[in-house]
Amino acid sequence: MGQILQLRNISKTFPGVKALQDISLDLNEGEVHCLCGENGAGKSTLIKILSGAYQPDEGGEIVFDDRRVTLTPRLALSLGIQTIYQEHIVFDTLSVMENLFAGAEIVAGGILNRREMRRQTVEALKYLKSGLDPDRKMRELTSGEQKTVEIAKGLLFKHRVIILDEPTASFSSAEIENLLEIVQAVKQSGIGIIYISHHLDEVFRVGDRVTVLRDGRKVSEHPMEGLSKSRLIKDMIGRDPSTFYQREKVEIGEPVFEARHLHGNGVQDISFVLRRGELLGISGMTGSGRSELLNLLFGSEPLLFGEIRVDGKAVRHGSPKSAIRNKLCFLTEDRQNTGLFLPQTVAQNVAVANLVNVKKFVVRPGEEVRRGDDYVRRLNIRTPDSRTRVVNLSGGNQQKVVLAKWFATDGEIYLFDEPTHGIDVGSKQEIYQVMVDLLRQGKAVIMVSSDLPEVISMSDRVLVMKGGRKVADLSGAEITEENILTYSIGDSAI
Amino acid sequence: MSDAQVAEAKAVEPKGPAKASLFSRHENLTPLSIFIGFIIIIVLMQLYTQGLHKYPTFISPVNIFNIMQQVAVPGIVSVGMTFVMLSGGIDLSVGMLASLVSIIVANGISTWGLGVPVSIAMGIVSAVLLEGLMGFIISRTKVEPFIITLGGMITFQGLALLLCNSREVILNGELDFIKKNLIAGTKDPVTGLNLIIPPYVLGFFLVLMVGGLVLRFTKYGRRIYAVGTNRQAAYLAGISVKNTRLSVYLISGLLTGLGAIMLLSRINTGIVTLGQGLEIDTIAMVVIGGTALSGGKGSMLGTLIGIFFLGSIGNAMNMLRLPSEVQFVAKGLIVIIAVSAGDVSSRFGSFMARQREKAQVRKNAAT
Repeated sequence: MGQILQLRNISKTFPGVKALQDISLDLNEGEVHCLCGENGAGKSTLIKILSGAYQPDEGGEIVFDDRRVTLTPRLALSLGIQTIYQEHIVFDTLSVMENLFAGAEIVAGGILNRREMRRQTVEALKYLKSGLDPDRKMRELTSGEQKTVEIAKGLLFKHRVIILDEPTASFSSAEIENLLEIVQAVKQSGIGIIYISHHLDEVFRVGDRVTVLRDGRKVSEHPMEGLSKSRLIKDMIGRDPSTFYQREKVEIGEPVFEARHLHGNGVQDISFVLRRGELLGISGMTGSGRSELLNLLFGSEPLLFGEIRVDGKAVRHGSPKSAIRNKLCFLTEDRQNTGLFLPQTVAQNVAVANLVNVKKFVVRPGEEVRRGDDYVRRLNIRTPDSRTRVVNLSGGNQQKVVLAKWFATDGEIYLFDEPTHGIDVGSKQEIYQVMVDLLRQGKAVIMVSSDLPEVISMSDRVLVMKGGRKVADLSGAEITEENILTYSIGDSAI
Repeated sequence: MSDAQVAEAKAVEPKGPAKASLFSRHENLTPLSIFIGFIIIIVLMQLYTQGLHKYPTFISPVNIFNIMQQVAVPGIVSVGMTFVMLSGGIDLSVGMLASLVSIIVANGISTWGLGVPVSIAMGIVSAVLLEGLMGFIISRTKVEPFIITLGGMITFQGLALLLCNSREVILNGELDFIKKNLIAGTKDPVTGLNLIIPPYVLGFFLVLMVGGLVLRFTKYGRRIYAVGTNRQAAYLAGISVKNTRLSVYLISGLLTGLGAIMLLSRINTGIVTLGQGLEIDTIAMVVIGGTALSGGKGSMLGTLIGIFFLGSIGNAMNMLRLPSEVQFVAKGLIVIIAVSAGDVSSRFGSFMARQREKAQVRKNAAT
């Protein structure tokens, strides 16, 4: 087996962040090399470097077939490095065959040679043991079948390397099985595969070697043979807990919010009780249904089945409007698109969610500005006054405007989705302090976060989700990186 | 200044000039530049018409009152259009809806013998219902308002033609009370001509004022801006996006109905061409007034400026005896120039603001 690709000492720095540090990695012909690591370990950055989307920092080098190369997206493709991303990029109104040959049609004198294209399509699909009809429209296929078509493309154009990024997200178990078989078949043809997955059982089924990343560094590399799952998980964790944010503990009071057997929006059978002064962390890998659960709790997605209780009373909120009346607040992850009215002023943004509770028809702009200025002072929002447009503020200050918007509603139950995503370290601490202040006032917080240290240091309890279900409810000393990761990526076999 | 202070000043400064300058507050400068252009045109017209004895001069009470009568109908419809466009929608159907309403009311009075009040009520109710129907579809589906109201426009034209058998419906002055001169006998001290203020001009100003107050000082107004700026964020902030989007079309229907009746009383004839081009004029007025097609940006004050800007230019071109073909070309160019001038001036504004910031940072670094 010859070596196809080698990365030597690759680093990648973004302003303020070292996404990758000194990564070395190689890939052989006919090999499946798995990449593991929790959210934010640097897997996606590494893929983007391999596909030519990012250029590594000075000092690192990429060797392809014993030649040093500087990868651009175009060069990567012409060398035969194909990246299959999590989201499908397909022409969904075109057929399987047309998708396979999009941009590289076989032509004779400017006219499409459909017969030849069909022959090759059938051949590639047959090799993958797939019974797909080349004339089916892409949009009629399941996501598993669509992925098959993308992999067939690699075979068809004799690609050397196929990178699969979380290929089985949103797959049914039969589809996963099918894909793993396809990967085996592709491997037999001599193509090298880089396989990224949260699902350890897949990694063990299909992998020949595994490399573990943590915080942008390579932790270890193992051959799959003789490796245990617990060893792999140990490699993925291992931060020093004393470096985590030290949160002040608050006395926990009466239950204030209760979810009973919630179903809907991809979430299945979630139940929990939240008490005043308590911070419930929700952890799980991307796609495990964490944000979906928050939307369900806030009424922005329909609840199919189950019951929500606020202060012991069953409530039914069919929309965010009634959720706000029931004292819920929702700080969404994508604050620019779903949390803020960027061209409007700070004062107007602060006032908007509380309109639900305002009884009077007439509003006074002067009064809004006074209230806005008040929050600008209290939350230390860096702006001359609340008549500034939100679009002119920095990320951390925008997040504080979102906070002010919800404080103005006098809410009791705060739902935070990735509260510190894309925020600098200083502002992070301020936001943690704000959460603790809320708890001290007897309010309750539910926090979804991909940042494990954040979940561990802030949460009184952690609910771990996987595949839309609750797989663990940890509290106290059980809240460790190892436990959370074991539940969120491992399976019952551990 | 100590080093720490310098560092702090540098860190704070790029977040925008601390003083509330005109440029930092008003990112959309269309209304402002229009207003300046407006003044220039008025002055030029005044200088031009001063020497001519046959006509009243441009800035004379009689001509100003004249302009008010000319803009009242498109003006009142523009108020509704402002609501629609601020919410992120558009309404192409207002022109043909006005024609349809005028034919319904004219028929009600002269053909069906329903009497004036019932006919007027019927006209307005049908306008509100028809717009409500479009608003319902727009707010409950993902279809673009442009398409729905375009379909509405064509449908209303057909309905209007059906109702009048493709003929005009003539009134005998039953609606004259709407255009009766409230200050009969008052003469213009400059020209000695009769001054005219009919009730519908007052009605237009009243609607404009109420519209402006609702947008600025009510919960409902806030919701329209929020929905126009960011629908998803508005929904998550507890605003009923669907009903807000529906409501603006109801308002547009009501005001288009009123406008149609004013127009009918002026012309005394219900005819399908009555509202032709009204949607173009009103959209132009609202856009010139600085309201963004994408929604969320703009104000009734801007619309007021837009109404009088286009109205006075039309009036001026009439005074200059320009043929209507030329007037169309001129109006079209004015819309294009006015709106792009607004964009250019706001770019210039932010450029100047950046320059000032840079200078400030440099000054801080130097000291």
